[in-house]
Amino acid sequence: MAGSRLERFGTVFTRVRDLIRSGVIKPKEKPLWYDVYKTFPPKRAPLHVKPVTSPSAKKQGIVPEIFYSEDKIRTGFYEQYGRGLRALDLSKSNFVSTCQRFVDKYRELKSHGMLDNSSLFEETAKALLKEGIILRRRGAPPVLAESRDPVLDLKLIDMLAEQQSAGTDTTKTTEDKNS
Amino acid sequence: MAVRALTRGFRYSRAATVASPCGGHHYVTAPSVKPPQPQADDVTEKILNQPLEKPDFFRVAELFSLKDLFDARVHLGHKKGCRHRLMEPYLYGCRLDHDIIDLDQTMEHLQLALNFTAHIAYRGGIILFVSRRRQFGHLVETTAKDCGEYAHTRYWQGGLLTNANIQYGPGVRLPDLIIFLSTLNNVFQQHVGIRDAAKMNIPTVGVVDSNCNPSLVTYPVPGNDDTPAAVELYCRLFKMTINRAKDRRKQMELLHGLSAPTSQTSRYALK
Repeated sequence: MAGSRLERFGTVFTRVRDLIRSGVIKPKEKPLWYDVYKTFPPKRAPLHVKPVTSPSAKKQGIVPEIFYSEDKIRTGFYEQYGRGLRALDLSKSNFVSTCQRFVDKYRELKSHGMLDNSSLFEETAKALLKEGIILRRRGAPPVLAESRDPVLDLKLIDMLAEQQSAGTDTTKTTEDKNS
Repeated sequence: MAVRALTRGFRYSRAATVASPCGGHHYVTAPSVKPPQPQADDVTEKILNQPLEKPDFFRVAELFSLKDLFDARVHLGHKKGCRHRLMEPYLYGCRLDHDIIDLDQTMEHLQLALNFTAHIAYRGGIILFVSRRRQFGHLVETTAKDCGEYAHTRYWQGGLLTNANIQYGPGVRLPDLIIFLSTLNNVFQQHVGIRDAAKMNIPTVGVVDSNCNPSLVTYPVPGNDDTPAAVELYCRLFKMTINRAKDRRKQMELLHGLSAPTSQTSRYALK
């Protein structure tokens, strides 16, 4: 069957249409999809677009950055509390993360009360603590119930130095004894 | 000698049975079938043209909703650095360097693509599913099998479409529609099949991600082609449309009084 293999000129439809018009393809031989394409054309004709080599034409078509007003609250949260204790479960579409709960509580308190922005953060943390979510500050040492066992703070070097000094003392005393 | 005669005879008989090379009307050229033909002609014409009158004859818009697309994570594109210049009109925005595809546009494009596929399947066209993603190779092949269509998920030889007559013998019927579940090959370049289909005047439907080139695809569908959930959604949608269209065709034939499909109206006789 006749065809035109020039994929860079015109679309599939225009080439077949012109071949039918010129009589190269007989009307009864026209492809199956021709009528369907004619009735339901695509939104954009599938023309070949030449690749642009010069870097100067990159200005068109800026894709907007997506930012929300809650992002400010989120940045504050992540700066202070790090990644949060609970992992995000992305498989559930209705999952509410710790950060999201913080944001919701923050907005709730903001809409309710007369608190100003600086204390709002602390208030939100306190409110969440009441609900049972513990927020650990980033960089601060982890809080323990009892203090550390002093044995754990001993260093090996100090121990060896002590033993050596103790050893010299005993040799001295034995020498004294022997002599 | 005997072998050559055999092959010559075989080729001749094959050429005789392949009576409709890419033609829309399946007519057998044997002279003995003349009398009932004019009637069958009109009825076939009516059957073929009736669906074109309505905008959504197969009601493909009912098969999916925006929430389904969102849950299947179709809106997630690649990072900003991988973005293709020609995909910019289809993007909703960029969230911390991650491209987000505009699902409103995807809805419209997907509706057009499914509608086109349904019409092609209704007319008995051959549909070829192509995907070079090894993760989804089996899924694509089972989808094609379930619809009664064809799939090619392996290495694409250079002359598959352009040199078909020599590779497969003369008078091969090429696909009437090629559906790409992923338009890239394993080295992140555009699949050769897109250019070859454009060369052989075969329309294509393709899922284009934010790093793909949508210019040569006839009916592009901007969407995620990497997540299993998204690809399963596409496979399910295409399977449902094609089956729906084929069932509708059988219904229409019975309705218009055509008896059980003969070799004229059925393409299965050719295989």
